Order: sequence, then structure tokens, then C-alpha cells
Amino acid sequence: MCAFRHNEGDHLSHENTIKKTKRFNHDKVMKYFLMAVASATVVIIFFIILFIFVNGASAIRDIGIWNFLTGFEWRPSTDTYGAMPLITGTALVTIGAIMFALPLGLGSAIFISEVAPKRLRNVLKPMCEVFAGIPSVVYGFFGMIFLIPLLRGFFPDHLLFGTSWLAGSIILGIMALPTIISVSEDAMRAVPRSYREASMAMGATKWETTRRVVVPAAISGIAAATILGIGRAIGETMAVMMVTGNTPIVPEPLWNIFEMLRTITATLALEMPEVVSGSVHYSALFLLALVLMVMVLAINYTAKMIIKRSRKKFGETISKKSLLDKVTEHEKVAKHTKMFSKMSILACLFAASFFISSMFVGAVISLIVAVLATMVFVSLMYTDKVAFKMGRSLMLTALFISAYMASSLFLDASASVLVSFIVVTAALISIPLAKRLLAKTKEKIAHFVLLSIVAVVLMILIVIVYDIVSKGLPALSLNFLFGYPEDGGLGGGIFPAIVGTIQLVVGTMMIAFPLGIISGIYLAEYSKDTRYTRIIREAIDILNGTPSVVFGLFGMAALVIYLGVGYALIAGCITLAFMVLPVIIRTTEEAILAVPKELREASLALGASKWETTTKVVIPAAFGGVVTGLILSLGRAAGETAPIMFTAAVVFRSSVSLSLLDPVMALPYHLFFLAWEVPGSETMQYGTALVLLLMVLFMFALASLVRHRYSKSIKW
Amino acid sequence: MDIVGFNLWYGEKQALFDVGMNVRKNKITALIGPSGCGKSTLIRCMNRMNDLIDGCRVEGSMFFQGQDIYGKDTDVMALRKRIGMIFQKPNPFPMSIRDNITYGPRIHGITKQSELDEIMERSLKQAALWDEVHDRLEQSALSLSGGQQQRLCIARTLSINPEVILMDEPTSALDPIATAKIEDLAISLEKDYTVVIVTHNMQQAARISDYTGFMYMGKMIEFDDTEKIFNKPSEDLTERYITGRFG
Ligand SMILES: Nc1ncnc2c1ncn2[C@@H]1O[C@H](COP(=O)(O)OP(=O)(O)OP(=O)(O)O)[C@@H](O)[C@H]1O
Ligand SMILES: [Mg+2]
Repeated sequence: MCAFRHNEGDHLSHENTIKKTKRFNHDKVMKYFLMAVASATVVIIFFIILFIFVNGASAIRDIGIWNFLTGFEWRPSTDTYGAMPLITGTALVTIGAIMFALPLGLGSAIFISEVAPKRLRNVLKPMCEVFAGIPSVVYGFFGMIFLIPLLRGFFPDHLLFGTSWLAGSIILGIMALPTIISVSEDAMRAVPRSYREASMAMGATKWETTRRVVVPAAISGIAAATILGIGRAIGETMAVMMVTGNTPIVPEPLWNIFEMLRTITATLALEMPEVVSGSVHYSALFLLALVLMVMVLAINYTAKMIIKRSRKKFGETISKKSLLDKVTEHEKVAKHTKMFSKMSILACLFAASFFISSMFVGAVISLIVAVLATMVFVSLMYTDKVAFKMGRSLMLTALFISAYMASSLFLDASASVLVSFIVVTAALISIPLAKRLLAKTKEKIAHFVLLSIVAVVLMILIVIVYDIVSKGLPALSLNFLFGYPEDGGLGGGIFPAIVGTIQLVVGTMMIAFPLGIISGIYLAEYSKDTRYTRIIREAIDILNGTPSVVFGLFGMAALVIYLGVGYALIAGCITLAFMVLPVIIRTTEEAILAVPKELREASLALGASKWETTTKVVIPAAFGGVVTGLILSLGRAAGETAPIMFTAAVVFRSSVSLSLLDPVMALPYHLFFLAWEVPGSETMQYGTALVLLLMVLFMFALASLVRHRYSKSIKW
Repeated sequence: MDIVGFNLWYGEKQALFDVGMNVRKNKITALIGPSGCGKSTLIRCMNRMNDLIDGCRVEGSMFFQGQDIYGKDTDVMALRKRIGMIFQKPNPFPMSIRDNITYGPRIHGITKQSELDEIMERSLKQAALWDEVHDRLEQSALSLSGGQQQRLCIARTLSINPEVILMDEPTSALDPIATAKIEDLAISLEKDYTVVIVTHNMQQAARISDYTGFMYMGKMIEFDDTEKIFNKPSEDLTERYITGRFG
């Protein structure tokens, strides 16, 4: 064809055909290989559910599902298994946690998204993420050693021991904070700028814009954040078990936040290690796990639906929308808000009627009364006008009831009624007064309130970290880091626990990395929206929502007992690997999807196969994101207790063993053991907590460093 | 390359209607037409980049040296190796300049370092980029300017020595000076390669192309010598578009 093309050498000369040749095309083979690996999640979740179900089935037969769900007594010593107190315990502690976390979380999210200047936001966001990095057992430890004495000081007459619903809700609330903050902040940031501009252009203050435009527009995201926070709190084990006192009773009266209670997760963690395999008790615990799974799945599913809907709302088409469209959009948003407020009124009603009737009759009947009452009101509320008129009085009723509930814990009945009247009257007087304030003044007050909320959140973080660091540092010594425990944990060091945690993390990663990364690649690059892909995605979602204690239960039933591995490093690693798998898959997929399609096109246009494009262009470009996900999951695996406490972890090892079949010591479990069983070992506890915290936070810092590096060096 | 009675659908929506044209060897063929008329769609069909789009369906034939591009036994990778493509937005890989250029040859089985070096130097020189980058080959390609990046992409395509180069508005993201460089480049490539270029710039089409096709609403309205299209087009529509009296 041309002169120089001939002296090219043979390699690049053209065969004169574009017909298929011998050159091996990896694409088909790779696709099926990747798909097979990605199916692992489906298999895993199938087996988890199978094991729980099979083991729980005989309890359904022996106890009866109705007796199980509605029984008021949980007493394994007499083979009485009524899960009602545990279910109420879980529900109450979660409700309390959300009531604590929602104002703090939402306030912080609004502040970070709408008020804080960019610089401040860049500091605040990562600080809030630190909350998510602190292991559950460290929260529990902090609750036991710091919060409980504090609460006892505040309410000496009400809290004999300090362990209580109140303590559990505060700790769980703190743990739900990062979820609520980050998800609702994302939702508010996703509200198009044009909305804010349109509102500001009409002369609204920043606060009015936030309150009337941004928050309503982001309401479904905020709702999802709340629900996800609830999901997180319900599945939590270690922290809640360490501070709630674990008495399986329904509080009396039902709103007595000073009462001790016990959650489903805590029951599993407490009783699983001692139960005889195959007994009714054993099977009842699995049934309990099933109930927990159903609760968590229902909650996560609701959140997913809400998020899906809000995604649709702000699809990419926004920029093309005309002004007219925006107006209708506004109206729609307003409708959503109204719906949401209606829903919350209904929820208040439901709760109120439940509380009131529970004073006279049993919980089940109260439930029925509550449902009936709610239904009557639903039909009444059918027209908006009625709803609007009633909304105010309902709010006041709710205020009255909550004021009564709160004061009745301290005062006798008649005094409580008086207090409630005063509160409601005060509200009635102050609401119109507040309405008359100038917009500017309102804004100032609002911003001040938001700022104080953020300050409280930061204070909590600082107190936790400062307390552990300041009291943990003196414990650190060479002997502590490299010695073996002595005197049953009262002295010596934590060397085998450090090594054990490293072993667990390394083993977990060896299993989870390949599975997770390959599944992520498959989902991002190769999967189409087929039914099978949707099943895989569903399986990942379920796995992601499964509480960590359920993983532990599965590990124990399937690996320790059924396969007869016994307490062993390998059992812990597999269990932990299943737990972190969905995190790795998700982050890998997200990182790969973030690679612009132009790069793929460039590679394919050069005649590269899909597999070559994926491995040589896409994955290197997504490397930062993938590594970030891996490190985060590593941090999570290092801090978890529940999955290893009945699969791999023991309280003492006299030597370090590299065998996969030996049990190990682990930092989180060691911390739990010391705090739970070894009074007087406070120094050791602080030291262990500090080492664990440093280890986990180090990984989180590393992850954000990698992310930062890569987002800087690669700009599309 | 011959295109006969070509139709294309994106899902339900038809984007190309009975398009016919032929691309002459070692000539520059330009495609012009208003936005959304299907120029990109057509040019992407020529090396089957539209395979990547879900729900995209074609009918009709495209022949490359007598073989059907959409034939059942076509090896798409071999096809794309012989028909390369430059995109509207420069899209260098986030790697070093050297790795960007050697990516293609490596994919096609060249491993010898000396050979790779030779190909790299040759392609960069052909793309008139060698003088600007030969002392910074290990730097990230993303550190280059937009115009340099686009020439790097051209060099990257040249590195696998295709016979046809498809360019979809290669200069629309560039300033006039960078544009002029790319145009010169296109003309200099003409003697060795066949070039198809999509452009919104009428002067550009007139300056550099030998043949021009005018498309409108997914149809090829007129296809002829550039000379003829710009001086005495046979279709009224073409004339109106060329003279800017459109709409
Ligand atoms: N991936 C796709 N899915 C559905 N429709 C598409 C897709 N890509 C292009 N189209 C539609 O096909 C038609 C032709 O688009 P094409 O991109 O080929 O136009 P174009 O002539 O290149 O326009 P421009 O000059 O703006 O680049 C348009 O109506 C466009 O909306
Ligand atoms: Mg185009």
C-alpha cells in the first residue's frame, strides 16, 4: 500500500481478512468464569438462610410460631421461649436510638450540606466518618466504662446499675449517626442548585430555602437515611449487649427508659456459646435469628424502594427541564412532604394508641387496638383539609403524650398531667410568637441551633477518642504489646490477640478479595440487566443487610458444628469473608462504573477484546477506588466481634499458632472478654481498646489517603 | 468501503434510513449535517462501535474490501484493528505517554522492546507530536494539553497501523491553532491512509476532504465530490445547509 508499511515487520501486517481466525477470544470464556464466581454470593446467602431455617424449623414444631412470637416469657432453663420481650426490647432500643440520632444526624447533615463553608465541610465530613470506623465492641466498652457511670450520676434514683434501655439507645444512636449523616447529606447535595437559586431569587433567606425547598426535596433521601440507620441499629450486637442489662422483660410502663431490656441480637450472642446443639433451645435461637433477619430485610427493603424513587426524581434530565417542569416538580415535592408529614402523624397516633392501651391490656391486643385506631384516622384523613386541620391538634396531642411519658418517670400521675399541660400551653403560646419573628432572626436562630448540634456531635466524638487515647496510652508498653496475658487478663500483654487479629484479617482477605473483586468486575462490565443478574444483586443486598451476629450463628452451625471444624482460624476467616464480601463487591463495582466509557471505547477501537480492555485499561483506572474499598472492608473485619465469637475466638492462647485449624485470640473479643468478665482490668481494657482503635482507624486513614491520591491524579 | 441500504435502530427509534455511500481508498471523506442527523451513528457503525450500545440493531450491508462488516463470521477485533477511530473528546488512557502508544501493539502481540520503541517513535512523528513529547515519554498523558492529547490519540490509533481512520469531530474540543494542526495532520495522513471525518465546520470539510456526504434526519441526502457539493450541489437541502440558510 505504501512504502513504509512494508518495512514494518511482519507482526502488524494485515491478514487480508476480517473473518474469524484462530486467535483465541477470551471474552466468552471469561464472561462465564466471572459469572460463576459472582454466583458465589447467591450460594452463600442461600446456605445462610437454609441453615437458619433448617435449624429453626424444629422450634416451629416444638414451640409453635404463634406461641414463640407472642409469648411473654423467655426462660431457657424451663424451656420457655416467648420472644415478645426480645422483640419489644429490640424495637424499643432502636426507637430510642433513632430519637436520639435523628435530630443530631439531620442537624449535622443540614449544617454540613447547606451552612458550612467548603473548607469546614471538608474537615467535618471525614470526622463524621470516624464514627463509622470505631468498632462496635469499642462503643460497648466505652458505654460500660464511661456512659453508664455518667448516667448513674445523673439519675441516681432511677438507675441502680446504670445498664438500661437509655444507655443502649444512646450508644446505638451514636453508632447510627454516620449512616444518617452521610446518606441524608448526599440526598441534600443531590438537590439541583437551580432549586436553591430559584428560591433565593425570590428573596428567601438561606434558612427558608433550606427548610422549604432543600429539605422537602430531599425528604425521601432523608427518610431512607433514617431507615438505614434503624437497620444498622437493629442488627447491632456487641455494643447493645454490653450496656442494656440483658433482662428479658417488657419495661413497665412501656416507656420507662430506665428499665433494663434485652435485644434479639444480645440473646443470640449471650446464649449461643452455651447451648447444646440440637436442643430446643438451640433451635429456638435460630428461629430468633430468622425473626431478626426478616425484620432487618423488611427495613432495608423499604429504604431501597425509597432511595430508588428519589433517584428517579432527580434523574439526569433535570438540566433539560424547562421552568414550567420545575414548578410542577415543586408541587410534587410539596405533595411528598405532605405525605411524609401525614405518615409521621399516623406513626405518632399508632405509637400513642399502643402506649395507652398497653397500660391496660397485653401487647398483642394493644397492637390490634393501635392498628384499628390508625385505620379509623386514615379514613378520616382521606381529605387533605381534614388532615391539615387535624395535623396541628395531633401534634399537640403527641406533645402532650410524650411530655406525660417523660415526666411520669420522675413524678406521680397527677403532677405529670400538670407538667404536660404546661408544656402544651407553652407550645401554644410560643408557636405564633415564633412565626412573627423576622426572617433574618429566624435564620440566625436556626443556624445557631445547627451549629450547636454539630458541636454536640463533635464533642461526643472527641470525648470517646480522648477518653480511650488518654487512658489507653499509659497501658501501652513493650510488655503489653509483645507479652502474653497473665492473671486471667489482669496483667501481661495482648500479643496473641494482636497476632490473631492480623491472622484473621489476612485470611479473610485471601477469601474475600478474589471473590469480591471478580464479582464486582462481572457486575460492572459483563452483566446485562437479566433476571439472573438481578438475583445476584438481590443476594448481595441481603448479604449486606444481614446482621453480623447472624453470620456468626451461620459460621457456628455450618462450619464449627456441621462440618466439624471446631473453633478455628479458618472458620472465623470464612465467616468474616462472607460478611465483608458485599462491601468489596459494591465498592469495586462503583469504582469500575466510575471509569468513563470513552476509555473503554478507545481501547476497543484499537481492536482490544473486552477482557483486555477490562484488565489493562478499566481496572488500572479504577484501582484507587477498588483499593479504598478493600482497605475499608479490612478495617471492618478487624473490628468485628460477633462473627468470630462463636467460630474462632478464644479467651486465652499460650502460644501463637499458624495452623488454620487452631482457634485464635483476637483484639475485639479480648476487649469484650476483659470488659465483661474481668473486673479490675480497666487498664488492660483501655490498652486493648486503644490498640484496636489505632489499628482500625489506621486502615480508614489509609483508605481515605488512597482515595484522595487517586482522585487528585486522575481527572476525567 | 461500500455502504448499501443501511438502516439502524436505537431500540424503537430509527436513526439511519437507507444510507448508501462509498469511501475511497487513500482519500478523505467528510460527513456533514446538522446536529442529531446521525453522523456519529453512521461513522461508529463502520467499525462496529455501536455493538456496545444496548438495543442497537442494524439492517443492510457495509462492505470492507469486499467482506461484509456485519457478516456472521466477522471478527470484530480484527476489523477494529484495520479500521481505527478518533473520538470527539480526547480520551488518552490514564497512563504514561509511552504506554498509551504501545498499548495497541502490545494487544496485538508485539512484545519486543526495540520494536515497540520504533512503533512509538514512528507514530508520534506521524502525529506531529514527537518533537513536543520525546523528552517526557514517561509522564502521564493527562498532563498534555487538549490539542496534544488529541494528537496523542491519533498517534495511538496509528500505532496499530490501520487502513482506515474514522474521526468523529476530532477538533470540536480544540482551539483554532490545535485545530489547524490536526487538519494538517489529516491531510498528511491521506497518502497512506483512508480517512473518514465527521465535522460541523464547513470550511474544514471544504479544505481537507475529497468527498463529502451531507446527511439530514438520518438520511444521506447527497454524496459527491467535495468540489461539487460546495459549488453546485444538486439538492436544494444541501445548498441551503451549505450557505447557512437552514431551518
Ligand atoms: N445511544 C443512543 N441511544 C438512543 N438514541 C441515540 C443514541 N445515540 C444517538 N441517538 C440518537 O440518534 C440520532 C443521531 O445521533 P448522532 O449522535 O448520530 O447524531 P450526530 O449527527 O452525530 O449529531 P452531533 O452533530 O450533535 O454529534 C439522534 O437523534 C440521537 O438522539
Ligand atoms: Mg456526533
